[in-house]
Amino acid sequence: MDLLNNLSLGFAQALTLQNLVFCAFGCVIGTLFGLLPGMGPMATISLLLPLTYSVPLDASLIMLSGIYYGAQYGDSVSAITMKIPHAGSIVACIDGFEMTLKGKTGLALFSAGISSFIGGTVAIVVVATMAPVLGSVAELFGPADYCALMLVGFFCVSFVTTGSIINGFAMTLIGVLLGQIGTDINSGVQRYTMDIPLLSDGVGLVSIALGCFGIAEIIKNLDLNNQHTPFTGKINLIPTWPEFKRIIPSALRGSAIGSVLGLLPGGGPVIAQFGAYAIEKRFSKHRHEIGQGAIEGVASQAAADEAAARTSFIPLVSIGIPENPVMALMLAAFIVKGVQPGPQMIGEHPALFWGLVASMWIGNCFLVILNVPLVRYWLSVFKIPFAALFPSILFFCCIGTFSINNNLDDIWVTACFGLLGYLFLQLRMEAAPLLLGFILGPMLEENFRRQMLLSRGDFSSFMTHPISATLLTFVFVAIAWQLISFFRKGGRPAVTLHETEAGV
Amino acid sequence: MMNGNLMRGLFLMAVALLFGIGAFNYQLGKFSHAGPGLFPLFVSGLLFLLGLLTVVRSRFEQSTPMHFKLRNLAIILGSISGFALLASYVNTALAIVFLVFFASLAGEQPYSIKLNVKVAAGLLLVALVLHKLLGLNLPLI
Repeated sequence: MDLLNNLSLGFAQALTLQNLVFCAFGCVIGTLFGLLPGMGPMATISLLLPLTYSVPLDASLIMLSGIYYGAQYGDSVSAITMKIPHAGSIVACIDGFEMTLKGKTGLALFSAGISSFIGGTVAIVVVATMAPVLGSVAELFGPADYCALMLVGFFCVSFVTTGSIINGFAMTLIGVLLGQIGTDINSGVQRYTMDIPLLSDGVGLVSIALGCFGIAEIIKNLDLNNQHTPFTGKINLIPTWPEFKRIIPSALRGSAIGSVLGLLPGGGPVIAQFGAYAIEKRFSKHRHEIGQGAIEGVASQAAADEAAARTSFIPLVSIGIPENPVMALMLAAFIVKGVQPGPQMIGEHPALFWGLVASMWIGNCFLVILNVPLVRYWLSVFKIPFAALFPSILFFCCIGTFSINNNLDDIWVTACFGLLGYLFLQLRMEAAPLLLGFILGPMLEENFRRQMLLSRGDFSSFMTHPISATLLTFVFVAIAWQLISFFRKGGRPAVTLHETEAGV
Repeated sequence: MMNGNLMRGLFLMAVALLFGIGAFNYQLGKFSHAGPGLFPLFVSGLLFLLGLLTVVRSRFEQSTPMHFKLRNLAIILGSISGFALLASYVNTALAIVFLVFFASLAGEQPYSIKLNVKVAAGLLLVALVLHKLLGLNLPLI
């Protein structure tokens, strides 16, 4: 009954004209940027994060969420029609593009759109029921447990995004160190500011995100001379009844897998897609067709993708710890608006939380309309030449940076991070863990110093708390496993996400 | 040709040293009463170890070459820097025109003045909307 009351409160909040407009805007922008080569949810949210400064709290979070799951939808459209994989749609390329080659583009897009809708709907039920429960568990957490939880997040994200714990963890540490720039909250001492007033409040998150994901990606695309041929084939969206019947069970399986994998630290859409695809290949009635353009291969991954995108909000809103870099950006948006996600958030801001949950379902409806009947119009986006696109993106990077403090000097900081981001790309260092480290760094320091103070400098206190001991054991096992696999392979490095993408 | 794996390790060590040495400028304290320099020193130490491990690992791994195309990097960063300078000392309208026309020199696509004029006009319109409707404090003229 409580759940129904809460949901009705959420829908009352989400169905205001202002929130509906921002939800629709987020979905449209997310889908648009999800379609564009080199632009994923990370870059899109980074680019539009400054907009939230001038938008009311609930509307800005609803808009950013819409961008996130809208980009997931748009991602699969470009993967299916033109085999342009972003990180979030690698699996969609396999069977989706095979279906396009067979002239079944419409069926593939319909399967992806409807399955995403099913995945999103199932995940919203999971979010509505699980987030408050997990929030009450999070009240048991002390500083040692928070430290351990953040370390688990660092390790999982490091492994998932780079394939190598060493490389990824090094990037999170660089992020933590960048987070040290500015005024120390405990002593008031300015650290690493080089007496530059601009740095006394620290480096701006938007500058790092736009530099590393916006500017560096543009330079990479220019270096690769990425040119894509627009899709010009016919699209017949209406499936036959037997085809439709094949979509539903796969979508439901994918939704369940995505909902679970989205909850885990470091989890999220990419892992969920691979998990759902593997399960489908093992258990589907049509498993022999998977890989050659099967409906199940598209439906399950699309549902898992969307489900994971939504359930990854649960750790953020209930514990206050983002489990992947996109959620770290969402955390930044919450903090900018003066809301600290965590166990108390749902109790203190019920209208905000339940409004966000309800808006997810409304966004789902917008997205299914945008991506199923209107999909053919979206494909015309590919006709925009990159020569026109990238100066515009650069302009938005500059304006986005400027709008934070109304200070043109911030653009220089963004340019520096553009250079650093390019260097990271050349050195094959994935910037996503850096962002997570940067956002969680101050929180990690605060909890670490608090725990050290409480335990009088005794490190063993991290192993005497059951929650932190369990989490740290997981980290040690992961490190040991990496080391063993490295030496067993005779020193060959693990396969990275970039290599996986290249291989599709 | 530079070995990317080795360079990555050296880069990590350099960053660790930069922050680690810098940490000594602040009070370190003890773990039970940490000063502002202790945590960054601790993190820098960990990063240095990871850098060292990467350098050692690079001896056993296949060399990965690095390909720097400095032209695109220089043009893009130059266009952003020019935008910041012109917007600070002249106005944003000129900065937008400079950004579009200079940035378009990057890449290998043919340079089109007609396209650049259209893009610049579109962006000027966007800037005007941001200025007038959203109240963004852009020095347009």
